[in-house]
Formats: sequence, structure tokens, C-alpha cells
Amino acid sequence: MIKKRKIPNAEIPTASQADLAFLLLLFFLVSTVIDVDTGLGLTLPEYIPPEEQVEVKVDPNRMASVLVNENGDVLIDGNVVPVYQIKDLLKARIAAKNEAPKNKKMIVSLKTDRKTIYNIYIAALDQIKLAFFEVRDEYSNAKFGKKYADLDEEKQGIVKEAVPIIISLAEPEIVKK
Amino acid sequence: MKFEKRRATTKQEIPTTSMPDIVFMLLMFFMTVTTMREVDVLVSFKLPEAKAIEKIENKRLISYLWVGKDKRIQINDSIVKMNDVEPIMYAKRQALPEIIVSLRVDQSVDMGFVTDIQQSLRKAYCLRLNYSAMIKV
Repeated sequence: MIKKRKIPNAEIPTASQADLAFLLLLFFLVSTVIDVDTGLGLTLPEYIPPEEQVEVKVDPNRMASVLVNENGDVLIDGNVVPVYQIKDLLKARIAAKNEAPKNKKMIVSLKTDRKTIYNIYIAALDQIKLAFFEVRDEYSNAKFGKKYADLDEEKQGIVKEAVPIIISLAEPEIVKK
Repeated sequence: MKFEKRRATTKQEIPTTSMPDIVFMLLMFFMTVTTMREVDVLVSFKLPEAKAIEKIENKRLISYLWVGKDKRIQINDSIVKMNDVEPIMYAKRQALPEIIVSLRVDQSVDMGFVTDIQQSLRKAYCLRLNYSAMIKV
């Protein structure tokens, strides 16, 4: 007698699929480094050989010079101030130049000693940038009622023009070791 | 009168058939987001902290330069000397004119050293800098 052949079950068991997927997921979770590429942006001036450098006189009114010495003491225009006060001191001076013509805007010059610690330099630069950012925010708040970051590109351009970020890294004194 | 407990007639199990799909979706997200680290960092450094931090909008343009605690400079995959920074960066800039150099410098390095690097970068015309820093809370 011929038995009717039973058709074997041809399905792939999918019950463990979730486990497999979880395993893969875990691997990618662990190996992911969401890299933080954040930092303080800056554009260096072009290199000019020392013999071709020309000194340009700048109106002392539009210049704020920040000096940081090797002990981390900060000097703004001759006065010793703590690092965290740089922002507040500069803000008023930057804001005062908001309506000034383009070539009369505030320049902040940052100069360090060769032995200054990098950390303090970054802290000072951070304070200067914060000062500019806050002036921008206040200006755009007053003019458009929004923070700078929430403005559209065209309006950002207007604010940028009113409050340009000019930070001058003083030419390091040639080989002063 | 006979009281009967009212029982919900609906099934009480959560359907799990779509769980793999959800997991796969997550998986896809992490797969696309993951960037495997391309270079081994050979120097040890601790980044400074700052508040006025900006994101670099175009990751493709970034080129890293590490400076460790012990003042060793690393570009790409190797430790280089100060004198080699300029030619290497110049070659990089020629390949990619819009290059942004991200300086990952240890907190405790002195400015003289950083200035020297900056001078070589200026000579190499790599003028766009980014001082890598962590967000200060």
C-alpha cells in the first residue's frame, strides 16, 4: 500500500529573527561613536613674511586688546581682570559700536605669552566669542524680536553686518623664547 | 441572581510579530549613523572646555591635527615633527582647498607650541581653524 507522503513543513522558523536583529543592533549601538566635531572656529590671517609686513595704525577707540600672560592673568587695556569677566567688559564696548560704520567696528585683539597654557587661551577666546554672540543676540532681539539663531539667512546677514566678529590674533613676537 | 465575572474577551498578548521590523528599523538607523573610526589616535589628550561652541557644518572638509600631552603632533595616522607639518598640510590643502583644520590640543600644552603650529598652518595656507573643545555645562 502506498502511503501518501506527508509534505514536510517548509517554513523557516522566524521566531529567533528578533534575537538576531537585537544582536546586530547591540553591536552597532556599542560601536557607534557619534563624533562631536564642535569647537571654536577661527580664520587665521594669511602668512606674510616679516620683511613685507606693514603696520597699520588702528584707532585705539575701536580696539580692545586682551593680553594673557603665563600665569593666566588677563589684562584688558591695562587693567587686570578675571577671565570670566572678559565677556561682560567687552560686551558693552562691542554693543556701543553697533551703529558705527563698517570700518569702525570693534576689534578684539588677543595676545598670549609663549608660556601661556592652552586651556586659559581657549577660555579667553571663548569669553570673547561669547561676548560677540550675546551682542548679536541682543541686537537681533531688539531689531527682529528673535534670537540670532532663529532668524532667516537674510536677517542674519543684517545682524552679521552690524556686529561682525573681528578677533585679531596678534602676530606672535618673532622667536621670543 | 447569578453574578458572573466579566472578562475581557480581547486577547491579552501584545503582538510580537512586528518586533523584528521595529528592531531592524533601529538597526538601520544605527548602521547609517555609525562611522567607524578611521584613524587610531596615538597621542593622549584632554580637550579644553568652552561655551561659545559651533558645529562644523561640513564634516568632509575637516582634517584633524592632534597634539598630545607630551607635545607630540599627529596628522593622519602618524606622529610627525614640527617641521613636517607645513609640507603635509600644504599637500592636504592642495587636494582640498576648503580644508578646515581641527586642532585637538591637550589642555596643558603651552601657547608657544600652538603658535608654532599655527604659523606652519599659515605658511601652508590652511587658514580655517577650529579649536576642538568640549561643551562646558
